[in-house]
Amino acid sequence: MASQNQDPAAAASSSAAALKANESGNSATRGSVSKRLQQELMTLMMSGDKGISAFPESDNLFKWIGTIDGPQATVYEGLRYRLSLEFPAGYPYQAPRVKFVTPCFHPNVDDQGFICLDILKDKWSALYDVRSILLSVQSLLGEPNNESPLNTTAAELWADQGAYKAHLQSTFQK
Amino acid sequence: MTAPVNIQTPSKNWELSLYELHRSPQEAIMDGTEVSVSPRALHSELMCPICLDMLKNTMTTKECLHRFCCDCIVTALRSGNKECPTCRKKLVSRRSLRRDANFDALISKIYPSREEYEAHQQRVLERLNHLHNQEALSSSIEAGLRQQARCKNDRPAQESDTNPFSGGEDNGETHSHLSHDSAPCHTAQSCSHTPSEAGPSRKRRSNSEDGSGPEDDGGSLPPPRRYREGQASEIELVFRPHPHLVHAHDYNQTRFVKTTANATVDHLSKYVALRVSLEHRSASEEAEHRGGREGSCLGQVSEKQFTIYIMTRGQFTTLNGSLTLELVNEKFWKVKKPLELYYAPTKDHAAPADHQRSPPPPQKEG
Repeated sequence: MASQNQDPAAAASSSAAALKANESGNSATRGSVSKRLQQELMTLMMSGDKGISAFPESDNLFKWIGTIDGPQATVYEGLRYRLSLEFPAGYPYQAPRVKFVTPCFHPNVDDQGFICLDILKDKWSALYDVRSILLSVQSLLGEPNNESPLNTTAAELWADQGAYKAHLQSTFQK
Repeated sequence: MTAPVNIQTPSKNWELSLYELHRSPQEAIMDGTEVSVSPRALHSELMCPICLDMLKNTMTTKECLHRFCCDCIVTALRSGNKECPTCRKKLVSRRSLRRDANFDALISKIYPSREEYEAHQQRVLERLNHLHNQEALSSSIEAGLRQQARCKNDRPAQESDTNPFSGGEDNGETHSHLSHDSAPCHTAQSCSHTPSEAGPSRKRRSNSEDGSGPEDDGGSLPPPRRYREGQASEIELVFRPHPHLVHAHDYNQTRFVKTTANATVDHLSKYVALRVSLEHRSASEEAEHRGGREGSCLGQVSEKQFTIYIMTRGQFTTLNGSLTLELVNEKFWKVKKPLELYYAPTKDHAAPADHQRSPPPPQKEG
């Protein structure tokens, strides 16, 4: 069952997955990853966090769709964004690939929806999960890192919150 | 961990923080006091934060004292940063970790059978997996639609059927409910049960025969009508003797009945017959005590059949025995207050009103 769910893109990479696969066999690894993802899904559904949600996109437990509500008292308040999360076979030792599906005008998000966030890259820890990722991205919306912007227009406009909000509202598309 | 509070005076003496000044050691529990801990709180203590499972071959970081499964932390250190996954404290190598045999012992004390725990966990996850599995969802929707389609086919047949048992299949339940306040309850049960059992079980079998594969499951269920309205739907009714057809001195009692909505009018008439006969018997028993008369009237009375009427637009309408009370409520009553029905012995009244009930309600056994 697990091998049918295999996402070829995710399975291709990942040195850690290869490492673990050597130890215990690939199917066992897939099994333990699915198990962890199922645990996460269960706790996420129980927790009832406001402003974030996530669910597997289809039968494939390795690809989820998440939603984030723009944090209150920020220019993003009232806007809802969809994200896709793809989990590599090396999860949780490797970060999932997270990107915005809804176009997002933000200093640290590029026009493809890719997010520049340290915990999704070199600061990843096996303790992060879907919930903490979504919460981090949510807080990133209201507190961008304008030092290393992917979207320079957004970074420059950020100083003028009124104009920024007006731009957001006029360009927001679901 | 205990940083000096006062940085201005760097002395050899560590000053105590407010917390450290006031804290007192936890008293060890020596008597039989039991402290209950919720499974969830316990689980978060015994869980490995990486695999989210129960700790297995626990390893503890030497400096920051965070715990992980041996496999998990080793893989994490090999594949990522050389730091504690929980707090980012530097972990140079495996030598920054130590085995935590005490914790393993603790876990095996709390969960002596790890296999059992894991099997349980597996079952929970499988159920969850089944729930979010779209294939399962669509197949269950399909099964539901098929079930509904079958109900549609079944329903008209049930309603046109004059067999008093076709409406509600849980005759036993209905009757025990109806006779809840009667002291010799077993009498009521035994006389209503025997005939009713044959009916529903036959029907069920035929249901599951036409279904194939997954439908077999649904076929053994009671008829869908009850599920449509929710199993617990109950009807309250006020039950009075027919003012014109019943002599005031006979059974002038107003009865208040609460029963399931799938009970039929026939059930009600049987109920009345029983109640009346029981009352007569107790009355005649009293008479026996007093005068020694023969208590043979039970037989006669219980053979009595009752017709049920409802008052609509000032007219008494006879109710068909196979109608369920739910249907009566929908068709005739329609208002939000207890259904009011009237009863009168069939014998005393014109026979034609009774022609609907061709298979006579079998209360003769009683």
